[in-house]
Amino acid sequence: MTDDFDLTVEHARDGDRTVVRVAGDVDLTTAPGLRAGVIDLIEAGHRDVVMDMSKVRFCDSTGLSALIGIWHHARQAGGALGLAVVPGRLQRMLSMTGLDTVLPTYPADAAGSRG
Amino acid sequence: MPQQASAHHGVSGRVNGPAPARAASAPSPSPYPGPGPDPEVESGRLAAVRRYEILDTPPDGAFDRIAGLAARLFDVPVATVAIVDVDRVWFKAVHGLEGVTQIGRGPGLCASTVLRDEALVIPDTLLDPLASTNPLVTGPMGVRFYAAAPIVTSDGYRLGTVNILDTRPRVLTEEDVATLTDLAGIVMDELELRLSAIRTVRDERERREAERRHAEQERRRAERERAARERERAEREREQAARERAERDRAALASFASTLQRTLLPPALPAVPGLELACHYHAASADDVGGDFYDVFPVDDTRWAFFLGDVCGKGVQAATVTSLARNTLRAAAHHDADPLAVLGMLNTALLADVWAGRRYCTALFGLLTPDGDGTFSVTLASGGHPPAYRLRPDGGHGGVRVDAVRPEGGMLIGALPEARFAATAFRLRPGDGLLLYSDGLTEAATGPGTLLGEEGLAAFLAGRAAPVGAAELVRDTVGLLHSLPEGPRDDVALLALSVPLPGAAPHGTEAAAPTTAARETDDGEEHDRRDR
Repeated sequence: MTDDFDLTVEHARDGDRTVVRVAGDVDLTTAPGLRAGVIDLIEAGHRDVVMDMSKVRFCDSTGLSALIGIWHHARQAGGALGLAVVPGRLQRMLSMTGLDTVLPTYPADAAGSRG
Repeated sequence: MPQQASAHHGVSGRVNGPAPARAASAPSPSPYPGPGPDPEVESGRLAAVRRYEILDTPPDGAFDRIAGLAARLFDVPVATVAIVDVDRVWFKAVHGLEGVTQIGRGPGLCASTVLRDEALVIPDTLLDPLASTNPLVTGPMGVRFYAAAPIVTSDGYRLGTVNILDTRPRVLTEEDVATLTDLAGIVMDELELRLSAIRTVRDERERREAERRHAEQERRRAERERAARERERAEREREQAARERAERDRAALASFASTLQRTLLPPALPAVPGLELACHYHAASADDVGGDFYDVFPVDDTRWAFFLGDVCGKGVQAATVTSLARNTLRAAAHHDADPLAVLGMLNTALLADVWAGRRYCTALFGLLTPDGDGTFSVTLASGGHPPAYRLRPDGGHGGVRVDAVRPEGGMLIGALPEARFAATAFRLRPGDGLLLYSDGLTEAATGPGTLLGEEGLAAFLAGRAAPVGAAELVRDTVGLLHSLPEGPRDDVALLALSVPLPGAAPHGTEAAAPTTAARETDDGEEHDRRDR
């Protein structure tokens, strides 16, 4: 779906949900591609998206912006966005910005077992 | 010459050139051919007449001289050079018949001569059955003698005659007929010369016309090429101008970014009684406008407000949000100074902006209320921003106790309508300091794959000596940034507040207005403003 610089994104259906695996750096150069790619998925009918962040090495504020943008889209489409296997540092950012209160996070098995 | 000779019809005359095949193919049984010419021969003959372009041309000395010569040679009153057209006999030259230019193509005389190859001699017209009815014979002229030699083209067409007329009967010798035939030949030569000259002139005119057209085409082609070169040159100039404009635009944008950054930052921190203030802005790129902002300002007669924030993203769009955020925070604080209400107001303002949902920021907003004993009560609200650090003397041994001021639950500002913000309250006593920063500081790399982080920052701050002064704290932190191998990759804003110990006042708040120092570094532009 997207392969910008140091970021790779792939997705798979998991029942009603679509699991998006994100790997690499989410920053100023890659975040727009991530945002556009996942929003395209949502527009294509994958309204309930879980983003597996386990392979994310780096995520800055622009990455956070992408997540917020995706979350807005999912919500407008009547769906939801969740995060799985969030690395510690990103988890702290989510917590600091209060986004953990609107973005449900799941442990590893929730995202990976069937996807 | 003219000699009297017995009349004899059908004298063989000489003609120029080879014997005409067409005429010869229709030999005449009598001196007078049939009443009408052979249509095919006649149409070829008329085409030849047209070809020589002689009909209705002005008098020409050469033909006039031939007619005059004929009259003198044969001692006759009238001699003409006649061209026989479709229905008329047109005189190219007339001797002795002034004013006559043409007569009808009646039978006999010229009209008959052009139907035969040889000269025609009629010694007495009254004795000739055809000629006797001709108007020239029956009319006032009363022509009694007529002799004519045909003017024959090289391809055998008879154009007309050279003829002589007299009002009395005459007899021509064979030699006379030969002379008349020669005169017709001379006329033919003259016609050929004339046609040749006409053609030469025409060819020359056409050649010149062709040359002129060619020159015109060349001129137009040159003009087109010149225009094309002109267009290319203009295009190159446009491209060059566009490049220069783009260069200027880039320079202007960099300048704009720099200017904007300066306008977004407070021109200088105010002097707050009983407080030492210091700030620093590190721009990661000279071209790109960062989204960090901070300010300190009076809310009313006694209270002061301060904030430091970070707009997600970079560039002019981020800068507009930065500007909106900064102005909204100031305006909101004057309306209701409660930090939670102020952040709520900013959240609403950002969501109402055209970039709603796309542009948001994190910020710390604090309200300072002097307690009268040198201490300040601080209410600090957070909207998703990294914690501030509070530094206090630790036990009087010069050590520093560092606490993260982290209001729990504050959310990103401008991202969600239902965002909640959190606040915490504490006191800044003499000797205490407070450091606010943007995450460019904690996300600065300390080595491959490792960031300074909050832990690193807290450890660094714990290494400061008490009592902590704002200026010193900012200076040391900038030193830390510059000691990192790669330096910060994002903008870094620093804002420090400290309450000087009584009497010490090394950087007294009573001091004059804050000064601003700016210095260039390897990786960007530094704006260093501190209150001494």
